Order: sequence, then C-alpha cells, then structure tokens
Amino acid sequence: MNDTKIFAYARTAMKNLFHKPATTSYPFEPAQFPERMRGHIEIDAAECISCGLCMRSCPTGAISVDRTAGTWTINRFDCVQCGSCANLCPKKCLSIVPGYTKPDRHKAKETISLPKKAQPAGGAPQKPAMNPEACVYCTLCAKKCPQGAIEVDRGSRIWKLDAPKCVSCGLCASSCPKKAIEMK
Amino acid sequence: MAKRSIVPFGPQHPVLPEPVHLDLVLEDETVVGAIPSIGFIHRGLEKLVEKRDFKQYVYIAERVCGICSCGHGMGYCESVEHVMGVEVPRRASYLRTIWMEMSRVHSHLLWLGLLADAMGFESLFMESWRLREKILDMFDATTGGRVIFSVNCIGGVLKDMDSSMLSAIARTVDDMEANMAPLLKTFLKDYTVQSRLKGLGVLTREQAILQGAVGPMLRASGEEYDVRMLGYAAYGDLNVEPVTAKAGDAYARCEVRLKEILQSFRLIREAIDKIPEGPISVPVKGNPSGEYFMRIEQPRGEAIYYVKGNGTKNLDRFRLRTPTTSNIPPMVELMKGCQLADVPLIILTIDPCISCTER
Repeated sequence: MNDTKIFAYARTAMKNLFHKPATTSYPFEPAQFPERMRGHIEIDAAECISCGLCMRSCPTGAISVDRTAGTWTINRFDCVQCGSCANLCPKKCLSIVPGYTKPDRHKAKETISLPKKAQPAGGAPQKPAMNPEACVYCTLCAKKCPQGAIEVDRGSRIWKLDAPKCVSCGLCASSCPKKAIEMK
Repeated sequence: MAKRSIVPFGPQHPVLPEPVHLDLVLEDETVVGAIPSIGFIHRGLEKLVEKRDFKQYVYIAERVCGICSCGHGMGYCESVEHVMGVEVPRRASYLRTIWMEMSRVHSHLLWLGLLADAMGFESLFMESWRLREKILDMFDATTGGRVIFSVNCIGGVLKDMDSSMLSAIARTVDDMEANMAPLLKTFLKDYTVQSRLKGLGVLTREQAILQGAVGPMLRASGEEYDVRMLGYAAYGDLNVEPVTAKAGDAYARCEVRLKEILQSFRLIREAIDKIPEGPISVPVKGNPSGEYFMRIEQPRGEAIYYVKGNGTKNLDRFRLRTPTTSNIPPMVELMKGCQLADVPLIILTIDPCISCTER
C-alpha cells in the first residue's frame, strides 16, 4: 500500500465546514425551475376540439375526453408527465409547463369544461374533402383519424366520411401522402 | 463442523435501496452459502407491451428503472428502429450518446455515494451526491426531467440541444472533473477505504466469465469487454476503450467505476465537439414486423433488448435482460467464505438494480 494516505478526506471536510450549504432552504426560498421542466399538463380549453388523441396516446390512461358533455378530465395522480399528449395534440392546445401541482389529500380528478365553439367567421368548421383523381386509397387517413370518421375500402375504391363524427382536426389532410385531402 | 444457521437478509435492509431477499447460510460468522429470491417489485412491464402501442411503450420502457432510464428508452427505440429499418439522423444518435454518458456519470456517482454510505463514511457519501446534483440539474435543463427524461422516440429524439446548452454541459463537465479530484483521492488512496475494500469479494477473470458477470464487475476482473465498442448510436465515431482493473476485488470495482466517470467526461466532450447539424428525428410510418436483438452498455453493464413485432401496433414480445440479472450469480459465489459483516458491501459492489431485474 505505497500510495495510501491517512486523512485523505480531511482537507475537503475542513473546506466544507466553512462553505455555505449546498442545498437551498425550500420552501422559504422558492424553487427554481428550468424552462424545459416537465411539471404538469395545462390545457388551452378554447383551442381544444375534443378529438380524443390525448386520451388514446396517454400510456397511463390519465386523460379522458367526453365529446358529448364537452369535458376534458385529467387524473393528476395517474399522470407521469411523459408529454405524450402534448407531443401529439393536433391543435397544440396541450402543453407541459414547469412547476408542480399542489399536493392533495384525495385522488380527485380535475375536469375542465370546454367552451361551446362559436361558428367561425368563415361558416361551419372545415371538413375534409377528397380529390378522387389524386387518391390512391392507401387508408392512411382512416388510420390517423382520432375519431374513426373515415372509412376507406381499397378494393372497391370507396372513401367515405362520417361527417357528424369528424372533429376537423386536419390530421387526415396532413398525413395524406398524395395531398388528395383538402380541408374545406 | 460448526453448527449451521440461516440468517434472513432483506428485503428491507439499510444498505439496500430496493428490496431483494437473501437467505444466508452461516457457519459461525462465515457465510457458506446464499440463496437469493426476488419478486418483491415485479410490475409486469414486459407484458404491458401487448396492451400499449409500440410508440407509447417508449414511455413505459424508460420507466423500468429510474437510474437506467435513458438507456432503456434508447435500447428499446433502437431495437424497434432496426426492425422497421428506420435510419436515425446522426444528430439524434449523438444526442442519445451524450445523454447516455451523462446517465453513466449520474449512476456511478450514485453508486459511489451508496458505497461510502455502506462503509459508514457519511461525509464522502454526501460529497458524491452533491457532485451528482450538478449532472441532475443539467438533465433538468436539457430534457425537462431529473431522472426520467422522456426524450427518446421511435425515429430519433424529441428535444434538441442548442449550442448554448451544449456549452453549458461542457462547462458542467469541466467543473465536475475539477471537483472529482478529492473524491478520487479519497476513494483510491484513503487508508480507511482501502482497508475496507482491498481483498474483499475477489472475483477472478475465469470465474467472472464462467458466472456471466457483466459491466464494471467483469472489467474489474481484467476482462476487456465493453458493448460500447460495437458502435451503436454514435459510439462508432468516438474513441471508446474499456476501463479495466486486474485485482477483481471491491476496490478494483470502485476504481473501474471512478475511471469510467472520467472516461464519460471525455466522451461527452468528444461528442459535443463532433455533433453534426441536422434534423433530430424522422417520421416513422407503418408498424414493426420482424424481430431484433440488440445489446447496449448500461452503467451497470450489458443489457439485452429483444423485440418481436407482428405487423400490428402492438408488439408480440419485448424481452429485457438487465445487467443485475447477470451479476446475481457471481455475487452469490463471492459471498461464499466471506464474513457476515461484509455481506452488505459485497451486495453493493455489484451495483444491484432490483427494479430493472424484476421489471
């Protein structure tokens, strides 16, 4: 043991005696959160179109969307802040923001009622319209549709939209490889 | 022959951060055998792959364990990408590599702290964890989470790092390297630490290979084996050499991990210098069909990922063999002949991660 030292740590220990503590005195000193911190999910209810993609993408099933009642519900205790919903939201109305939610004694769900949409200036919300000349019936739009409102039969070349189900998210148009769908 | 007695060790024990149970067979104070049993924190995460779609499962894969989180997410994503034939942009591979090496620093510093704590060297434990805090802050700033990063996705990564973030990481690494000096001196040269670790739990090279030891446990026995040499992610562009030691005892395992921290600092700097510009992810279309088997080097050793897709959005099978699973048989061998008081330290030197093992 040639390079053995006794009191090898003594200098560091002495230095630490005269240093200020490495920790902060939270909660008297507020915590500093970096800009990117995944703290909790927030929703901009005015923008939400109740497409339900967040509900389906959530790995823990913490979110539920009720289209008929017009509500968006989150169980904050089930949410693991993975950001899956915020990444997929077609309207980008969900965002993951710094800071934690307040502690609670009950695992209560938080329900947010979505405001009834006024008719936009241009009339009714836009619905997808398909151009039969460009469409190759690849069925990608039907797969992407969060509400299952599009039905495509490749064999008999039928493209059908169930208009009342459509939430006008525009995912079909953006996913179409042939740009055959237009929101009108 | 002395009278044999069986002493239960765990599942709740001060040295164990996670529950594992051992039945220690003792002759007086000497351990003659150990029977491990696991299953206290099994969560069925492998089975969950049949219920969640393959893109959602990334978030579950990285929650297998808090410390190896980045590696599990990356291992799963790379396996699925190979099945689907997705070419990941180089920048994304570099970002994954930087986060992975930062994870190694964070995991090893955590282990060093736990080792110091198991020896009863409380101030050294706090010093290690104080240093670890800097890398956790960097994770928080770059990924948004301190231990669970959620940055990997099939086809690349979700978050980019701009040049100011990369230089902040480089600065943190330089700062940490300067602060590592007293830690290195204490762990490697201090009389108390040496008398506690030297000659404890000696695993010879032959034994290590025969028992299937992986990671720092294997390298501390003198075997040059590091899966990073395979060149997955961006490791092919970086200069990776296995860090080894010869003695195979607890001191050698501590030395290997300390030197791997320094190696990781070098790799992070090298990756920051070489990182190319470009996109961070590519769109992924369709569902995985086929199977793939890949290995990556986690901080604790070699982890194996196997995925099998059937062309639907749910995978047929996801199999994960974690480093601790491989390191339990050599650990049991090491205990034969040791003193009861040394058992906690020997368990700790394999760097056990039970939540990984049980998934």
